Amino acid sequence: MSTATDCGSDHCITCSDEGVPMRVLEAQLDGIAVCADSEGARSEVLMDLVGAVEPGAAVLVHAGVALTLLEPEVPA
Amino acid sequence: MKFVDEFRDAQLGRVLAGEIVATVEPGRHYKVMEVCGGHTHTIYKYGVDDLLPENVELVHGPGCPVCVIPMGRVDDAIAVAKEEGVIFTCFGDMMRVPGGEETLLDAKAGGADVRMVYSPLDALRIARQNPDRDVVFFAIGFETTAPSTALTLMRAKAEGIANFFCFCNHVTIVPPLRALLESPDLRLDGFIGPGHVSTVVGARPFEFIPADYGKPIVISGFEPLDLLQAVYMVLRQLSDGRCEVENQYKRVVPYDGNPQALKVLAEVFELRPHFEWRGLGFISHSGLKLSDAYRDFDAELRYSVPGVRVADPKACQCGEVLKGVIKPWECKVFGTACTPERPIGTCMVSSEGACAAYYNYGRFARERQVV
Repeated sequence: MSTATDCGSDHCITCSDEGVPMRVLEAQLDGIAVCADSEGARSEVLMDLVGAVEPGAAVLVHAGVALTLLEPEVPA
Repeated sequence: MKFVDEFRDAQLGRVLAGEIVATVEPGRHYKVMEVCGGHTHTIYKYGVDDLLPENVELVHGPGCPVCVIPMGRVDDAIAVAKEEGVIFTCFGDMMRVPGGEETLLDAKAGGADVRMVYSPLDALRIARQNPDRDVVFFAIGFETTAPSTALTLMRAKAEGIANFFCFCNHVTIVPPLRALLESPDLRLDGFIGPGHVSTVVGARPFEFIPADYGKPIVISGFEPLDLLQAVYMVLRQLSDGRCEVENQYKRVVPYDGNPQALKVLAEVFELRPHFEWRGLGFISHSGLKLSDAYRDFDAELRYSVPGVRVADPKACQCGEVLKGVIKPWECKVFGTACTPERPIGTCMVSSEGACAAYYNYGRFARERQVV
């Protein structure tokens, strides 16, 4: 079983309760998009809460759902 | 990657640390609680606390969803997992959380079909692939993960999937914060608010903290500079004599949250009258169950669960850790009988748990070096 020290990324791979910034690669039918995280790992993500998105958009993903769009123009 | 690299800049970190040192009042001790387990993880992974003056103490709150699950609910989950024909699915961390006698991992070793998933949607996929078996998802987490469960159940309903069930343990963040503020054990000066919960609920639900208790709260992101800036903003409010809700994580958190997410939560869930939290006891209106419209998916109605309250092991002090009353290393079994490999308490299981964060990043020292 992995622990935090095993993780190459900034979150534990065994814990889904973690927000991960991801890039949309391909929007699919049925509100699902293929996204990649900063390490390039791909996963299918539900887009129901953010609406239609174009490839290249950045989203914050939590437990397989995009919670919000990350807007490049908005500063911290 | 954008949104990550710029928030780990060491030079900016030093500047912020200098601002913090210039803001604190010598001789005054500041206790600031970071509510979210994700924040605790970042603080110890990046050594954020080492950049703070000695009189600024970060207290770790009850915001790790794995850590707050009481042992009785784990026993209930194991009972469902052992039902004939059930495929029981859960996040990886939950498999190692001890119940009264065993973990879900032990139940799996004993023959139960327990599978790790990364999202409830994965569990629904397993249900589609196994129409002749019941698939149960162990739903845990705050308002961040609850929309994922809700959307999955809405899809299951729309597709007419009859073999998918949810053992719902979702909780809400505001009631435990109010319980902590009412607790005589703890005297806090301010809060670092949960970033991703606020993406869903917004910053508005935290207005009671300054309004009713006169304490500042700053919603924060999860990168090291986010946290340093949030600590600075809390200290700045205290220095100015202000108390309000501030949003450091504006790039992600809208003040009113995500209305679509709140809508699906309202459709799929309703509040339980009360729910037990590890270390905090029963808190009114703090847990979610499936609404009547989704009762056909409710694992607690499908199966009878023991529902027995199980006291924590005497040696385990997770309760005090979760309330921020003691530091992890002050627990009698920290790092000896209780380790991430063989956890006794929940706080040592998840990487977001305060004990695991201390253990994994070598924070055994009783004294902190002054910078």
